[in-house]
Amino acid sequence: MRSIVYFFRESLRGFTRNLSTALGSIVTIFLSLLIIGIFLIGGLVVDNVVSGVEDEVSITAFVADDASDSDIQSLSRYIEGLEGVASVGFTTKEEALENFRQTSNSDIVDTLDGQNPLPASIEVELSDPQLVEQVAQQILDNATFQTICDNPEDPAESLKYGQQTVERLFVLTNYVRYIGIALIVLLIFIALVFINNTIRLAILARRKEIAIMRLVGASNGFIRGPFLMEGALHAVIGALLAIGILELLRYLVLPKVQSALMFLNFNVSNESFLLIYLTLAVSGLIIGLIGSAFAMRRYLKV
Amino acid sequence: MTNDMSQGPSMRPSRHGGGQLSYEQATAAAQLSQSLPVLDVDDLPQQHNIPVITFDHVTKVYPAAPNKPALSDISVEIYGGEFVFLVGHSGSGKSTFIRMLIREVKPTSGHLYVADEDLTTMRNWRVPYLRRNIGCVFQDFKLLPNKTVFENVAFALEVIGKSRHVIKTQVPEVLRLVGLQDKLNKLPDQLSGGEQQRVSIARAIVNRPPLLVCDEPTGNLDPQTSRGIMDLLERINATGTTVLVATHDREMVDSMRRRVLALDRGTLTRDQNRGVYGFDA
Repeated sequence: MRSIVYFFRESLRGFTRNLSTALGSIVTIFLSLLIIGIFLIGGLVVDNVVSGVEDEVSITAFVADDASDSDIQSLSRYIEGLEGVASVGFTTKEEALENFRQTSNSDIVDTLDGQNPLPASIEVELSDPQLVEQVAQQILDNATFQTICDNPEDPAESLKYGQQTVERLFVLTNYVRYIGIALIVLLIFIALVFINNTIRLAILARRKEIAIMRLVGASNGFIRGPFLMEGALHAVIGALLAIGILELLRYLVLPKVQSALMFLNFNVSNESFLLIYLTLAVSGLIIGLIGSAFAMRRYLKV
Repeated sequence: MTNDMSQGPSMRPSRHGGGQLSYEQATAAAQLSQSLPVLDVDDLPQQHNIPVITFDHVTKVYPAAPNKPALSDISVEIYGGEFVFLVGHSGSGKSTFIRMLIREVKPTSGHLYVADEDLTTMRNWRVPYLRRNIGCVFQDFKLLPNKTVFENVAFALEVIGKSRHVIKTQVPEVLRLVGLQDKLNKLPDQLSGGEQQRVSIARAIVNRPPLLVCDEPTGNLDPQTSRGIMDLLERINATGTTVLVATHDREMVDSMRRRVLALDRGTLTRDQNRGVYGFDA
């Protein structure tokens, strides 16, 4: 217990002794962890968005303005009977316009002068998003649909579903993930080098003391203690700074991004944030300890 | 006894040294063997015959000079309570001899025992515990310039985890022994060379090691001051501590008439009780 206090006192002393290098390693750790944290949170958000889009995979079949109610109803009943369909709804021209007004700029709607260019549509919700292709094909093959669809020359044009969007998103998120992992590895390496360097300087400044400690029989653990503590302290301070900035970003910037991109879901749970912060703190600590242990190695040969 | 505890009696202060056995000395001596059953000293009539240090055909070749061994085939025994001079010219292997004792270097071949423990096979993690039982004094004092006399001596106890209480009682006591009780709060550069060497001796013996090793302790000091340091070492020896002094201070060796080991280019050329320096100037 006494030696823990001693380690702590000595590591604090190391701070004042080598302020600039200590700050250097703290800032490096801080920036590395900050960027790692941003990538983790970004990854979470993208995952959220992707799964949101996937949940919302639905088929919209646009219907011509002059389609008869009976045709629409028989088509709806046919679609309801298909495998993988959860529910079938109908959106009138007026409802479509109202939706458009809400999700987009209402000024555009005003310039339409009361005209409504939007078609009515049958909305198909799927119970199994994987079957979207199959269901879409079945609708396309339906004779009723081919006659009442909004664009009879090319029925496929009147059938919209989100599969392509989802696939493109997945490709994008995979790229982001690979770049993120590469960047994280690089950053951890840089942080290790910096900690290593800082501790080496601290050791150099005290090599006379270390020589005497070894002479009078201080155990290696005792000699190593203050330096490991110093490295860990830098890392923890860096991690706390990074967590503080991330928390700031979360409360100041994320809501703004969310309001600008309303159609995407940016809600990340508190637990996820806590987990990310914990990961950052622990990995910072590990970086600090490994970096300083590495620096100690060659100075502690008996 | 067959285990490595059996060296215990050998570290007992020698009654031939003339000093009375105090309890502390006995404990200090026993430390080397770490908590062995305490034997009654009176039951050990021939303790002088059990060596503290044994060189058994020790050879040391540094990789930098493969054709010129620093020490070649040294066999010698040093007993508990002895005062031994190690003499020789520069480069004769004195420092290698000393550095081997605290296991800063390992023998290339042969075996070296300190208190029956074989340093050639000793595990690295045990080395600090070996060094706690060997006090070391060097020509260049090796004091920390930013610490006071008291702190310098206390440092040796601090880093082996002694309690504040032990430090507060033991440090002033040992500083009184070396005659520096009035200079506790001075910094090393406010002291003379002789006083600084006394501080480093105080640091070496504050943990009451059974063995004190000095490498040229008077190399930087004038004859008068050297005499004082030697008196101090003799007094420490009189309390039962085994003292080994490497030196090329001819006058000192000749006047003190203690056991002398002479090294010449790595070989032991002379081992003489009540010896003299012997080399031609």
